[in-house]
Amino acid sequence: MPLISIFYLILVLVYLAIGAAIIFHMLYYRINRKVATVMFFIYSTGGIILLTSNFFLFRIVNWYNIFSDSGF
Amino acid sequence: MFEEINFPGQHEQEKIILFLRRHWFIFLMRIILILISIIALVMIYFFFSTDDPNLKESTYYNLLLFGESLATLFIWNFFFIMWLDFYLDAWIVTDERIINIEQRGFFTRKISELKLTKIQDVSSEIIGAIPTLLNYGNIHVQTAGEKEHFVFIQIPDPNYVKSVIVELQEKERVSEEKELGKIIRGGK
Repeated sequence: MPLISIFYLILVLVYLAIGAAIIFHMLYYRINRKVATVMFFIYSTGGIILLTSNFFLFRIVNWYNIFSDSGF
Repeated sequence: MFEEINFPGQHEQEKIILFLRRHWFIFLMRIILILISIIALVMIYFFFSTDDPNLKESTYYNLLLFGESLATLFIWNFFFIMWLDFYLDAWIVTDERIINIEQRGFFTRKISELKLTKIQDVSSEIIGAIPTLLNYGNIHVQTAGEKEHFVFIQIPDPNYVKSVIVELQEKERVSEEKELGKIIRGGK
């Protein structure tokens, strides 16, 4: 596994860990059920769209060219 | 009015009189940070686009988009962390007590309550030009004991909230005195 993929995986894991904590707080400590449910759907839908698009962008970046151009 | 609201330890017949959060302006101030980050991302994109007109054909264009997308991902999380911090901080005034729910970061949550009959002194304060214009401020609720001291922070219309608490406390005190009188008279 290339080093850049490992770094990316760590970033995604950090993002997912924060996301899990947010969802836990939204649903477990909810004060208003309707608001919590709506915000949960907004957060998860947005999060999934952003994460998917980010993954595709990661795939289309030519990492080899970028690192060889910069002298690595 | 507050049917949708539920909080830990809620009694069956307990009626919620006021449900308070910090003033919307406090949340708006936090949102400004998010807006600044989004504007910064847009500016970075335009800076690189104008700096190199052939950027779209170069290998760095995708890298720029990836970086911006990654930043957006974390801004998204950051926004929801701020919203949760705002949303989970609440003060509830019921016909029996005052409940303070305080969320600090992710794993510190403090819930304290105070019976209306224990209240000895309630004071409200509005400090500063913006709070005066938007009518938000703090309320200090003092009890007979030295230890307990409730503070409602940056809530809207503190003077009205104070008057409601004083009114409820007076009602609760009168009904408690009546019950005590009944007991003394032998339940008559």
